[in-house]
Amino acid sequence: MKVTDEEAWREQCRRQLERDVPTRIKYGFCHVHKPVLDDAGFRAFATMAEYRRWCEDNLPAYLGYRRATAR
Amino acid sequence: MPQSKFTPAQAEELAAAFAREGVDYLFIGKSGAILLGYPETTQDVDIFLPRSRENAERVLRALRTLGFQLDPALPVSILAGSEMVLMKSGPFALDLIHAPDGIESFEAAKSRRVMEAGRFPVASLDDIIASKRAAGRERDLSDVRRLEQFKSEYMRGRKS
Repeated sequence: MKVTDEEAWREQCRRQLERDVPTRIKYGFCHVHKPVLDDAGFRAFATMAEYRRWCEDNLPAYLGYRRATAR
Repeated sequence: MPQSKFTPAQAEELAAAFAREGVDYLFIGKSGAILLGYPETTQDVDIFLPRSRENAERVLRALRTLGFQLDPALPVSILAGSEMVLMKSGPFALDLIHAPDGIESFEAAKSRRVMEAGRFPVASLDDIIASKRAAGRERDLSDVRRLEQFKSEYMRGRKS
């Protein structure tokens, strides 16, 4: 019987839930350079609206930081 | 660029440093979901903080013990309560968030939190999903459906 994508995903969820927290962290965090976003040591935004605007104006679209309705 | 990905040892150090300094905080976002067992990956650790200057001072003390080199402008922003602070040059990538979308207040989220493994305070899965749905970014909306499916397995596991 062919396993659907959703069933495979649910099985993956069940397996991960059986793992302890250190193991979840070990496999859950990665180190990937995100252009523009990672190019400054820090950035601070007074408001979330200011942060969202900066993301939409400055980040490459493929990173997915734009609001779904922004394009 | 952060020095490394977030490791289990760093998670323990963060929890210990924040506990030692008495920091009020919650893991949130995809990083919070990962601690709860969501089988996905992310780069950043997202920390939800209350709007409190005293708590911000505790956070700064803890960050220094964790090896974050703080640019002089950074403490000013954190103490002023900037709603979003992205820290990319420390031992790991860390986002400090004072006002995540879709959550009414830190205190409300804290009342619903999960203390994962007895030492990692994590926003509830419902709050994580609500926050992503309200943010409405492309990356968030693609997560919401999978988080909802994860939630049904998560809830089943908690009942058994």
